[in-house]
Amino acid sequence: MVMTGPLYMQGVFGFQASLLVALVVGILFGFILERAGFGDARNLTNIFYFRDMRVLRVMFSAMATTAVGIVVLKWLGLFDYSMLLDYSLLQTYLWPQLVGGVLFGLGFVIGGYCPGTAVVGVASGKLDSAVFLGGMITGIWVFAAGFPLWGSFYKSSDLGRITLPQVLGVPMELVTAAVVVMALAAFWLAGLGEKWAPYEKLEK
Amino acid sequence: MTREFDYAQGFWNPYVAGIALGLVLLLTFYLMGAGLGASGAIARSAAVIAHGVAPQAVENNGYFSEFYKTGAKFPLVNWIVLEVVGVFLGGVVAVLTARRFRPGIGKGPNASTGLRLTLAFLGGIVGGIGTRLAMGCTSGQALSGGATLVVGSWVFMMAVFATAFAAAYFVRREWS
Repeated sequence: MVMTGPLYMQGVFGFQASLLVALVVGILFGFILERAGFGDARNLTNIFYFRDMRVLRVMFSAMATTAVGIVVLKWLGLFDYSMLLDYSLLQTYLWPQLVGGVLFGLGFVIGGYCPGTAVVGVASGKLDSAVFLGGMITGIWVFAAGFPLWGSFYKSSDLGRITLPQVLGVPMELVTAAVVVMALAAFWLAGLGEKWAPYEKLEK
Repeated sequence: MTREFDYAQGFWNPYVAGIALGLVLLLTFYLMGAGLGASGAIARSAAVIAHGVAPQAVENNGYFSEFYKTGAKFPLVNWIVLEVVGVFLGGVVAVLTARRFRPGIGKGPNASTGLRLTLAFLGGIVGGIGTRLAMGCTSGQALSGGATLVVGSWVFMMAVFATAFAAAYFVRREWS
């Protein structure tokens, strides 16, 4: 008998066990990030020069897998998706997330990492990833120090827990199918991009 | 010829890695009702370090005070922090079992070490501010929020990649 998830939110296990879960899924996450090649900034930034689109391939196939998995678990009665909608889905703050995305994109291509991959970079012995993490901590201090200036913007355009299916007025199954189609189209375009290679090519 | 590009060799097929990652994320949602993340742990670490130097200022800070509410646990006794500790341990296991521990700096063949480390730090600052404004990063916002079809996560993801592709031209010396 398999229980209906999300287990923690249903009270199946408590806070201490949840920390153990965190450690275990974190280990799996870190292991896979390294095996994907994400412990080296070059493998992460090559996408922006159309040399190697592995970041796109990994991210889109992961996202599509999870999205389809949630729909399947929901169909099987193994996942109470409404709990996510009510309690735990990330909340949308439209403008701060757009501006934050622009800054994060700059930080990604300039700094060469994102937070999770930088941690794997440190595990791989990469000095630049440790320096990047030092920069991130500094940036967060800057954010906190200047919070009186942008604190009101930070909590602005609060749309709550809102999903694409709700905005589009269609079932989540349809949006999930669209994500899969988008992923397949992106994989095809990624191959074209690598052939196009507007900067210099990566010899494999 | 391929020697120079050792860094790109010997990894999993990206689709295999992506599906494995997606299954771990699905497992996380099934167990916890929330996804994976990373930047939250960095933010908590930043708060704890600052608290060691200026406790009063941190507890009164408009942003950091949410980690120091009265009666709250120590900020590092937290799901996302333990998860990121796991990410590091998982990375270490993966690196060692693949015999891939190669101390060094990831940069373009023609970029100097000074340039790369300077830009790593500056990029970290800008990206760090970005994660706080967006309340997440590639893991928490883009991947976990994207897979659960959250509107703000898709906006964030599009903004991240559009900006990075547009800005790549200007830092090409770092990566070429």
